[in-house]
Amino acid sequence: MEAAAAAAGGWEAVDLLAVGLGPGTFTGVRVGIATARGLSLSLGLPARGVCTLDALARGIPETADSPVPSGDIATKRNSSVLAVLDGWRGEVFAALYAADGTRLWGPAVYRPEELGERVAGLEETPPAAGSGAVRFRQELARDGIPIADDSDPAHRVAARHVCALAAVSAGEEDRDGLAPIYLRPPDAERWRERDAFQKPE
Amino acid sequence: MPLLAIETSCDDTCAAVLDGPRILSNVISSQAKAHEGFGGVVPEVAARHHLELVEPVVEAALGEAGATLDDVDAVAATAGPGLIGALLVGISAAKGIAAARRLPLIPVDHLQGHVAANFLEPEPLQPPFLCLIASGGHTLLAGVRDHRGFELLGQTLDDAAGEAFDKSARLLGLGYPGGPLIQKEAEGGDPEAFEMPVAMARDPGLDFSFSGLKTAVLYRCRELGPEGVQERRADLAASFQAAVVEQLRTKLKRALKKGEWEAVALGGGVAANGPLREAVAALCEEMGVRLKLVPIALCTDNAAMIGSAARYTDAIPHPGYLGYDAFASGETKAAAPH
Ligand SMILES: [Zn+2]
Repeated sequence: MEAAAAAAGGWEAVDLLAVGLGPGTFTGVRVGIATARGLSLSLGLPARGVCTLDALARGIPETADSPVPSGDIATKRNSSVLAVLDGWRGEVFAALYAADGTRLWGPAVYRPEELGERVAGLEETPPAAGSGAVRFRQELARDGIPIADDSDPAHRVAARHVCALAAVSAGEEDRDGLAPIYLRPPDAERWRERDAFQKPE
Repeated sequence: MPLLAIETSCDDTCAAVLDGPRILSNVISSQAKAHEGFGGVVPEVAARHHLELVEPVVEAALGEAGATLDDVDAVAATAGPGLIGALLVGISAAKGIAAARRLPLIPVDHLQGHVAANFLEPEPLQPPFLCLIASGGHTLLAGVRDHRGFELLGQTLDDAAGEAFDKSARLLGLGYPGGPLIQKEAEGGDPEAFEMPVAMARDPGLDFSFSGLKTAVLYRCRELGPEGVQERRADLAASFQAAVVEQLRTKLKRALKKGEWEAVALGGGVAANGPLREAVAALCEEMGVRLKLVPIALCTDNAAMIGSAARYTDAIPHPGYLGYDAFASGETKAAAPH
């Protein structure tokens, strides 16, 4: 963060802060957003949040030789793509994007089989990338979803894609717009719902 | 030399601005309502609320102090012990605020914060003194000989005193947070109606134990049945409260008997309990020692106390703190990377 700002010519040269909103680990997402809120407050700069799956999708299908251009949102792909992050507990966070980057559905939590079925019903089978695609390669391959090698850079969320998306997004420019994308309620809330459901009265 | 302090170790989102030992603002946003339905603090729920509240609370603290970040020359935040997810929100926000302005960051020990609440104006208490800290997260006796630290003389071996209040309040159907609700219910009750174990009374040390007390309340409730509990709720609350107060008083007295201390201070949410304050006041009178009672807003978790402790804690200059993390309860404090 500091190094990036220094390379750009110090904080003075920065005019917009971009931050990934998740989905991801609850704590990781909060650390990023809390830091961005602190920086934004302190620097008096606007901050914009970007769905982490959107940023991941922007790098698919990207390779070390042909990086996706960072200045332009049009990705010039020839197919839709599936962004899949590991959601732990045997589940994934996923979203589907059109060739031009438009989000078609998601982000949501799926079991890998569930996601595979949903994709199998599509006209064309999109390539998938991300930590969830790597982790559940076998399950997703059953539905014919192409996934690049584990070492492929497309599986990693690149900060420059977060920046590129923030720069063009028409989203809320207010710091209050930096709402995390958790996709899951806190566990205690789930228990409370379950307990309420099981109570006889 | 104003200092901005942030505290997010449990379920209160707090920020304060201090000028030396003088409090310019002390803003506390309680999440008690959010945790009410759970009968206690849910760590993930707390962390989510901190993220929503931390920035407005910092802005409110600056506003009330009539200050801007241009006036601030250091940022302090609670580093632990506490709920790790909650702590990380405060530390991360503090890092962001400090890093943007190349200000030093001061990571503060939460318990030292409770001790340091006594160093604040008006009438700051100077060490040495004995400090009893009792809250939902901790119960301990601290021997304070200087401004920079304390000696742990005794601590709870199981539940914290405030935790016992919360759990018993739930058993009695009183809701959350338990402390004030039990105190209110107990007002109309007989503290001797039910026999409660005064744990650790025979233990010669200065440690505490409250889990047996909570179990005793559970058994009394079972014996009485729901209707009986409703009928005797005030007596149960009064008997429970009296046993907690008695244990805290007994240990404090034992520590004072060694004759080393001339002043006593109370800290933590349980220190807001009326009967405890009265019992400790009577004990101090009996023992001929001075009692320092900070306002209740400085007993419960707050950021002014964190700022007060920060004045005596080593600051980490920019950018050395960017890799600094919080530490949860039960972890030892990591050395700050310089
Ligand atoms: Zn505390």
